[in-house]
Amino acid sequence: MSQVNPLHYNGGAVFAATGNQCVAIAADRRFGQAQLTLACDANRLFRVHDRLVLGLTGLATDCLTLAERVRMRTNLYRLGEKREPKPATISALVSALLYERRFAPYFVEPVIVGLSGDNKPYCCSMDLLGTPMETDEFVAAGTCAESLYGTGETFWRPGLDPEDLFEVTAQCMLAALDRDCLSGWGAVVYVLHSEGVTVRELKARMD
Amino acid sequence: MSRSHEATIPPARGFSSSSGGGLKTSTPASLELLYAAAAASDPFEGIASAMSFTKHLLMHNCDVWTPDWYNPTQDPQLGTTIMAVEYDGGVVLAADSRTSTGTYVANRVSDKITAVAPPYIYCARSGSAADTQMLADTVRRYVTALALETQRPATVRTAAALFRELIYQNKSRLTAGVICAGWDPLNGGQVYSITLGGTLVRQPFSIGGSGSTYIYGYCDASYRKGMNREACIAFCQQAASLAMARDGSSGGVLRMVCIEESGAQRLLFTEDQLPRGWQG
Amino acid sequence: MLLEQDFQGFSFDLFLRNQQLLRRWSNESKERIENVLAKPPRKTGTTIAGVLFAGGVVLGADTRATEGNVVADKNCSKIHYIASNIYCCGAGTAADTEATTQLIASQMELHRQAVDRDLVPVAAAMTRLKHYLFRYQGYISAALVLGGVDELNGPSLYTVYPHGSVDQLPYVSMGSGSLAAMAVFEARWHEALTEEEAKCLVYEAISAGIENDLGSGSNVDLCVVKNGGRAVDYLRGYAKENVRVYRKPTGHVFARGTTAVLAQELRKYVQVTRVVSDL
Repeated sequence: MSQVNPLHYNGGAVFAATGNQCVAIAADRRFGQAQLTLACDANRLFRVHDRLVLGLTGLATDCLTLAERVRMRTNLYRLGEKREPKPATISALVSALLYERRFAPYFVEPVIVGLSGDNKPYCCSMDLLGTPMETDEFVAAGTCAESLYGTGETFWRPGLDPEDLFEVTAQCMLAALDRDCLSGWGAVVYVLHSEGVTVRELKARMD
Repeated sequence: MSRSHEATIPPARGFSSSSGGGLKTSTPASLELLYAAAAASDPFEGIASAMSFTKHLLMHNCDVWTPDWYNPTQDPQLGTTIMAVEYDGGVVLAADSRTSTGTYVANRVSDKITAVAPPYIYCARSGSAADTQMLADTVRRYVTALALETQRPATVRTAAALFRELIYQNKSRLTAGVICAGWDPLNGGQVYSITLGGTLVRQPFSIGGSGSTYIYGYCDASYRKGMNREACIAFCQQAASLAMARDGSSGGVLRMVCIEESGAQRLLFTEDQLPRGWQG
Repeated sequence: MLLEQDFQGFSFDLFLRNQQLLRRWSNESKERIENVLAKPPRKTGTTIAGVLFAGGVVLGADTRATEGNVVADKNCSKIHYIASNIYCCGAGTAADTEATTQLIASQMELHRQAVDRDLVPVAAAMTRLKHYLFRYQGYISAALVLGGVDELNGPSLYTVYPHGSVDQLPYVSMGSGSLAAMAVFEARWHEALTEEEAKCLVYEAISAGIENDLGSGSNVDLCVVKNGGRAVDYLRGYAKENVRVYRKPTGHVFARGTTAVLAQELRKYVQVTRVVSDL
């Protein structure tokens, strides 16, 4: 099943969760072709600006195309507006880019996380047609989204500090990756908080 | 995206030649402009231009043309009994009130008798609910514009011809069987039946929809020329209730519209007011 | 710039590519994407409903969004804004209901300004929705319950089907849970409903959907439009009867340092105080 599914063809999973004045996003590092692993340095998290990260899972070619298109549109926005876009703005942009191809979609599942000016966390996931789902809890996307929802339901709780949020996000991700053969081979966690962005490479199973 | 007006505008030529019955409908030059303006927002043209992917598919000869999951949900159908009967001085239209999506009754009190040019021209709709609603709306718009342009009310034949034109020109896209009936000073009460393929026929009485198959024999046996209004209503009541009893996709209440020189009158018969046939 | 040209309507440039991908990856060439995608697009397997009362209209919806059998969102909002006096519940593919209602909302605001009035007629929104959906022949799968109050017709309630047909009724329901909701309406509806009774009735109908339909769940949202369209009660989370019960009060606590980290970097934010040159 999974090898005929464009959303699962290259593998990959993204998980994002909110905390108190912070937000975290985690991604695995596998890049595969069905059951064959080609690389373990895949990058699924794209920096839109300092306080905004776009995570993309799905068909790798579409992820890269979409990331480039978002980068271009963000740059145009900066030129026109002389300011950084808000998380909700980027959400609307990605949603519009996806829904435009309603009848011939990009096979991607985006996750958008960010901090607004007053460090209010923003967390949003979309399906491949661009339905935004904003939440104040956590979101999951990718090959092991179902496991991620399970780990999230168990481990996540409201009001986490940046350090605790990292632990929860990382453990949610690692636990789910253990039960997925299409994702894994390392993971990375970004925690966006009031000081800056803490980036951590996780030690994970490499099988 | 190029728009093709020719495809959907009722051509003025066909419009006047089909008006028949001694009525001379001259076509002012500006009428064509009016149609062009109206057609700019023609929903039927919209299908063609909006669905560029149909074009795409034809171009590339894709056999898998429904791209996915969004296999449209079931189209609400007017699985229907409709009829219209001429009587001495007017017409009666009758219809059941069931709209179904598959086996679910989506609306049990729907009104399938729609005003085209009230109070003198109405139509009874069968087939796809969406298609026939849009048809009736479109014809109403054309007829209203025509009446303004020509400074007189449109004739029943003209309204029926518009239905024919739209159904004929879009027959691959539409599922619509319409009975257009009404009264005008030239020909009195008239009933026109427009079939799925776009044929227009004037008939003394016409039945349509899935329920009609059960009552052809009854109607042929019971119809009398030159009935009065009461007899005509009774005939419709009897025929429609027989069809509604036998046809699973017809039912609910019976709605009627009587149209004569004095105007239109709506009638409603609930289940307990209908004649009962053999119940076993 | 070719990629970024202004499209009108939908873009089909990936259509053939997607067909090729699916043909290559599926054994049967005629397999639909729905069978191929392990995870179908987000749907709102839904119960939505509406009821008219003397002074207005009550709309209701559940709050579950699904992706296949997975609950994608436990508390999504299905009652969409169309105009200050018009709201619209959506069922079907979530992307379609969202995009369609947003499109019509923007059109209605432009229409309102064009005709220079405070309130737009509900029928105008209905007609636009109907024409838009009819154009796409059911391929935009949005099943809608549209309700509102205007000066011309008072309270109005419509259902709009994906194919573009419209029904006008005093009580309506839509979505996968519509049968359960309609059963409640058929049993309890009467002509002289007060506002409070109407709210109760819609709540009971949506509850019936939540309890009896697998595609519907979580909370009940209500929206009351009344007072000639000048007052709206948007009651998000009117009833929350399906909160999670067995949850450890403290949550699961990981000691800091539980996760093995290979590399760590803090990228501090930089405050730009003055830009010397844009170049």
